[in-house]
Amino acid sequence: MLIVALLGGCASGPSFSTYSGSIPPLDSQKARIYFYRSTLLGGAIQPAVRVNGTEVGDAKPHGAFYYDVAPGEYKVETSTEVTRRLTLKLEKGDIRYVRLNVSMGFMVAHIYPELVDADVGSKEILDCKYSGMNK
Amino acid sequence: MCAFGFIVSGCMFDVVSVTQKPTAFSAASGTPETFVLRESHSISIGTGFPTRLKAGTKWAMIGSIPEGSVFRSKDQVLTVEASNIHEADLVVDKGAVVGFFLVVEKTFCPAKQREPIEQ
Repeated sequence: MLIVALLGGCASGPSFSTYSGSIPPLDSQKARIYFYRSTLLGGAIQPAVRVNGTEVGDAKPHGAFYYDVAPGEYKVETSTEVTRRLTLKLEKGDIRYVRLNVSMGFMVAHIYPELVDADVGSKEILDCKYSGMNK
Repeated sequence: MCAFGFIVSGCMFDVVSVTQKPTAFSAASGTPETFVLRESHSISIGTGFPTRLKAGTKWAMIGSIPEGSVFRSKDQVLTVEASNIHEADLVVDKGAVVGFFLVVEKTFCPAKQREPIEQ
């Protein structure tokens, strides 16, 4: 029972390594953020991922998705019992990776977005499944 | 019960913030000054989440603030972390890291202590 609570609700789409071949190339006037959650821990907690207030996907265990944006300044937020925020600036043509980490909270797990190096993110995301943009 | 309510109320998890001071950024012009870090460094801002600078990364000056010269690297992402995480640039003064320039907030976050760097 506890294991189900801890690990339940994994992403169920195609493997990201397979799906990545069908992702359209980035528009030259835009930037792209890849989001992924590489751990199963706290699987029952799947908050929405918001970019400047817009819900763009969910933080599903072993799930991954991407979101294209105009160059500019952004706040990435996830909320459980608290809101965790990442602020970053994107230039034209940027491709950034945001890992959705899990930490223990008081009542439930917290999910916090962390900007990671591209060489790390581009490898770790391959172990995830494409969970779809929102929304 | 009362104590429980007291404990869980009032953003109890949002207790660690990055220290930020207003500053004025001026963009650099011309060929940027650059350096390559010889060794890795761990810079504390007093939040319990140090920022790591990787050995071998190349840094280019993109501007300045009153606290020092502002450098950015394409070789690693740079963030400062407390309860929230902020993308940042490196601030160097007289051969030492003195803090970070928060890219979105446009504020200065001081290092707990100066960290001399070998370039």
